[in-house]
Amino acid sequence: MKLLDFLNLRNISGQIAALVIASIIAIHLILTGIFLVSRPDQPDPTVDRGHAQFAAAVLLLGAAPAAERTRLFADIARAFPKLEVESLPPGPVPAASDPEGLDLRSLHRRLDSSYRIFPLANEQDRHRIGIALPDGAMISAKVLPDQRTRPFWTSPWAVTLLFAIVSVTLLGLWAARTLTAPLSAIAKAAEDFSVNGAAAPLPERGPEEIRSVAKALNRMRERITTLIDDRTKMLAAISHDLRTPITRMRLRSEFIEDEGHRGRMMSDLDQMRSMLESVLSFLRNDRKLEAMTLTDIATTLQLVADQFADVGHKVSYDGPEHAMATVRPDDLRRSVTNLVENSVRFGAVATIRLKASADTVTIEVEDDGPGISDARKEVMLEPFVRGDDARNMDETAGFGLGLSIARAIVLAHGGKLSLNDRQPHGLIVCIQLPVRQPNRQSAA
Amino acid sequence: MPTASPNILVVEDDRETRTLIAKYLRNNACNVTTANDGREMVRAMADSRVDLLILDVMLPGEDGLSLCRKIRAESQVPIIMLTARGEDVDRILGLEMGADDYLAKPFNPRELLARINAVLRRQAAAQNVSTIGGATALTFQGWRIDFRLRELRNPAGARVAMTSAEFDLLRAFCERPGRVLSRDSLLDLTQGRSAGSFERSIDVLVSRIRRKIESDPQEATLIKTVRSGGYMFSPTVEAVTVNSQS
Repeated sequence: MKLLDFLNLRNISGQIAALVIASIIAIHLILTGIFLVSRPDQPDPTVDRGHAQFAAAVLLLGAAPAAERTRLFADIARAFPKLEVESLPPGPVPAASDPEGLDLRSLHRRLDSSYRIFPLANEQDRHRIGIALPDGAMISAKVLPDQRTRPFWTSPWAVTLLFAIVSVTLLGLWAARTLTAPLSAIAKAAEDFSVNGAAAPLPERGPEEIRSVAKALNRMRERITTLIDDRTKMLAAISHDLRTPITRMRLRSEFIEDEGHRGRMMSDLDQMRSMLESVLSFLRNDRKLEAMTLTDIATTLQLVADQFADVGHKVSYDGPEHAMATVRPDDLRRSVTNLVENSVRFGAVATIRLKASADTVTIEVEDDGPGISDARKEVMLEPFVRGDDARNMDETAGFGLGLSIARAIVLAHGGKLSLNDRQPHGLIVCIQLPVRQPNRQSAA
Repeated sequence: MPTASPNILVVEDDRETRTLIAKYLRNNACNVTTANDGREMVRAMADSRVDLLILDVMLPGEDGLSLCRKIRAESQVPIIMLTARGEDVDRILGLEMGADDYLAKPFNPRELLARINAVLRRQAAAQNVSTIGGATALTFQGWRIDFRLRELRNPAGARVAMTSAEFDLLRAFCERPGRVLSRDSLLDLTQGRSAGSFERSIDVLVSRIRRKIESDPQEATLIKTVRSGGYMFSPTVEAVTVNSQS
């Protein structure tokens, strides 16, 4: 670390140092400006600070012998013309009291109790007051505004304080904005990161420290994507290449004379084929998406129910005859088919329900099987997890991808898939899909 | 079988698969020639008449899709593509490539045979249906049935899900509007695609189609039951001339 590194404006430290220095310079410039304009070093002749002039004049008059007062009056009038000191005709001294509306506390402090202040009865100017000197002579004079009557916020220290508060607040806001905005953007982007690479890379902007964090995260993201891509490619290649031997075996099985052997071989091959298909469709789900199109999903669900009923399962459809929604029709059909496959594997009777409202469609696949315990529900949605772990793989078992494919499809539609309990036993898989705008993709 | 023994050309690069397909089809009364790639295919097609082509998508050299497009540009010979699942089925069947049908590997050989028969039968039947036989899409009362994409859209433009058997039956109806079709003739027109032990009767398929396209399935107005005769498709059917798909 070099000593002058903090001067590098691309760093957070450099930016903060620059801001602090700029603020200090700005404070000084503004204060200098205020002082130059208001000149507090030059007394304002219209202001009598703490009534010092007034008190001095009165004390002079009180201390002078009566004979010299006339000359003193003239001298004071020349020195302090604003006070307009005059002598009052002798008479009885009125009761001492402060005239209304004047703050004379500092005057009282300067004059002792032998000087009595009284208001003038027939005087228009409310600033002119009467004072009885210790020897009984009375004078009148004008009280000039005290410094204190200035509003306090115009005083220089208040301006300084205010400026300090404003600049600290601005500094705080700026720091919060520039420092935390990229950080929260990074946090959000890291949160949004999904293996399908759909999310945009992190923005590489802001101070250098944050940019290097963003760069590092982007590189990590690329590595993860590459890793997953490689894994996907490998799995796809294996599945793809297995098709050729399975196709050959499928053809060869047609030449097997023994009916029993041939049937068993064909069902084994069918199982292999459906497992391959589920792997491929699971892999494909992240990347290639079927086009969204307006679909009568009631007919899709009827079709799934019909197909299962045709092969002897008790699957029925319960819902409206027609219901429009914008979906990926083949994906949705696959998703519901997977759910019903599970239902008829674990239960005897399955029902597909459809409820359509203005903005969502709810599809429920219900069975009367044993259901899934709450503890297992989350795990069951993971790929390659089978509900019948304890059992050996029988003819109907797959890779355990059915539910996770169904969920991936639903999520790609912006919908939700949840597992609920059915009473007294069984499982209800509930899919909720947004209907979307039905007028956009009709020609997709 | 429309032709006594159709001449089928199998274009497939895997030697084992090619031989097995040929052997299986020969056992089922087909004349089979084989080709390893596009060049052999062109030679085989020049040598003898080909009634139907089975074309693998993944071929060395020029791939199946571009071969399919080239053939389609000069001839109407039926083509069944063998694809890997996940490939763009819409493109294969769509106007771009113009294949008549496809099968995903690994396929059931019996289904291949059934589809061969269905495609050949459809081609033979199309020659008898004059005006709308060659169209790739038809409309009736706002509904639109697209043979290439194998999809049905309702008047609102929404896709309606159908099984292959339902689709083929509706297609048979649409191509013969206003004619009384017996159950036997419907079976003959549609059999093939949905071959298997779980084939549904025509009546079940009709009731399922009605549930999807009739506004009141109990009072059917589109597919009418003709007493003791069969069914009749009553609406006016028109060929879609302007391609509004893209």
